[in-house]
Amino acid sequence: MTFIALTRKLLRENIREYGMFIALFVIMGVFTITTDGVFISSRNIVNLVNQTGYIAVLAVGMTLVIVIRHIDLSVGFLAGFLGAVAAVALVFWHWPVYLAILFVLGLGVLAGLLTSFLVAHFGIPSFVATLAGWLGYRGALQLVTRNTGTIIIPNDAFNAIGNGFIPDIPIDILPEMHKLTLLLGLLGIVLFVISEVSNRRKMQSYHFEVLPREMFILKLVFISALLGAIAWVLAGYQGLSWTAVVVLAVVLIYDFITTKTVLGRHIYAVGGNPEAAELSGISVKRITYVVFGSMGMLSALSGILFASRLQSATTTAGTLFELDAIAAAFVGGVSAAGGVGKVTGALIGALVMTSLTSGMNLMGIDISYQYIVRALVLAAAVIFDVTTRNTGK
Amino acid sequence: MESTTRTRSPIVELRGIKKNFGAVQALRGVDLMLNHNEVLGLVGDNAAGKSTLMKVLSGAYIPDDGKIFIEGREVRFSSPMDARREGIEMVYQDYALADNLNVAANVFLGREAVRLKLGPIGVMDHHYMEQETKHLLKRLKINIASVRLKVERLSGGQRQAVAIARATAFDAKVIIMDEPTAALSVAAIEKVLDLIRTLKAGGASIIIISHRLEDIYHVGDRMIVLRHGRKVHDSPIEGDIHEFRERAVAYMVGARDDFREETLA
Repeated sequence: MTFIALTRKLLRENIREYGMFIALFVIMGVFTITTDGVFISSRNIVNLVNQTGYIAVLAVGMTLVIVIRHIDLSVGFLAGFLGAVAAVALVFWHWPVYLAILFVLGLGVLAGLLTSFLVAHFGIPSFVATLAGWLGYRGALQLVTRNTGTIIIPNDAFNAIGNGFIPDIPIDILPEMHKLTLLLGLLGIVLFVISEVSNRRKMQSYHFEVLPREMFILKLVFISALLGAIAWVLAGYQGLSWTAVVVLAVVLIYDFITTKTVLGRHIYAVGGNPEAAELSGISVKRITYVVFGSMGMLSALSGILFASRLQSATTTAGTLFELDAIAAAFVGGVSAAGGVGKVTGALIGALVMTSLTSGMNLMGIDISYQYIVRALVLAAAVIFDVTTRNTGK
Repeated sequence: MESTTRTRSPIVELRGIKKNFGAVQALRGVDLMLNHNEVLGLVGDNAAGKSTLMKVLSGAYIPDDGKIFIEGREVRFSSPMDARREGIEMVYQDYALADNLNVAANVFLGREAVRLKLGPIGVMDHHYMEQETKHLLKRLKINIASVRLKVERLSGGQRQAVAIARATAFDAKVIIMDEPTAALSVAAIEKVLDLIRTLKAGGASIIIISHRLEDIYHVGDRMIVLRHGRKVHDSPIEGDIHEFRERAVAYMVGARDDFREETLA
């Protein structure tokens, strides 16, 4: 098989996998050209990453909720409400930052368990149960902020989560660059290459099919270059932001859980066929509690990221986050039929949606048209999902 | 069939099983015995109680009355998992597979092999599960290109084969198959029947519920006929197929009944 034919075959067989990466590249490429390179500038990319953060963590949780055939509309105002609670704990109760964060994350888990109690125990459709949550948390947010209005958070440590950057190594080479970010990028590349090579060796020793050698090398070079480029761009400004660190940690942990652990396998089994899962001894109820509990915790994290970024808790924080998160999850390849969707896809989906907003803002496009463009991208993503499911591999 | 050299001892015994759904008496005191390494065909018209009886044995239903013995020991099941722990596996009519997962994942569904325990979270041993599934498919002569194929990519016969393979994967004592050949093509039916023969040759004890009398005839050792929640016939499968079919139908429609006296008494 010639190299081009092979490439085409791989593309065709993995189009669902590569589709959103290609979409992200196209979108970023187009905006880079239309904004004369401003879009791809270090400063804008760092901003983009920080704006994506609070939606990306929601999209990760939402992906799992949709995988088990549910939906959660309450996450936006829950995030807003819990962000306000964090602000109250810091400003009025004078709690230390770590305690306020742990407290709010715990409340998030409780809120998620409450939702899943309605869903799993009473069998209330999640759409209705979480719509009630949407109303309830909106009210709770207004209650918390009623006397004070916007709560300014004068806490540098807390605000660093949404605005700060990881410290640099104090040495004198490359004065314009953030050295630790470059080092981490390099470390990421090395770890990636080592794990890919050892994985390939293992596969070969078990006689499983692997990519042909030249395609494998191309993949390594491509992804390494991508990681390197991202590290380089970020290092050109102030380096890796704390938000990026938080999001990466969430995605890595959730990716590990969903692909490598029994719990993850059971989540997808429940999504694929709840009756079969139950007959196999998997408790659908327990999985529902776990998935909504995690969604609640990630809502709290989203609220913390957002409050920290704005350095305040506002009366309308979290408005429409749930719809952005759902859109990001669908763009990231989750399927409404259940059982299909990756957390890494959710991150890409969130990046696609924020890139659209950021790029169109830079181009000065009217906000009305922006909504319409995002609508088209969302619809296209779902059409792509439906059509490739039947024909592709 | 009675002349086989293997000692015929019961592996499963059901005694006087009764089950009501409201005013409907689905099972009115059914006795059933399954011997070691025997293939038992369970036949009967719709609503005769075949599926209800098998759901009692597989733990999905709790009987109102009656006793269950496994290898002579009385057991009580309150869930399918209880029955599974006693080595009773059910192959459901709709296969009960997760289409979005691959073959190996389905075989090990709910019983994943773990190579590392991180608190409550177990890290799966993918390699072990894939290798075991490969060996299992090979042993059962099931032809599927890769254990990594998603089940949604398989044909009806292959899906049934995966469902049966899963039931046999964990040293099951008894395998119950609910209509294993319904909704399959002729070629696929032959393959499933071959699979049942392979399982029997490997020592399995099997109960098959089927509307297709010829399937029971071809792979079965004994037949039990249920009618209106009662056992009306229990005999070895012998003779030519036409005679067998006539006999089975006569009992199914109520023209003959071997146990009427007992129940009325």
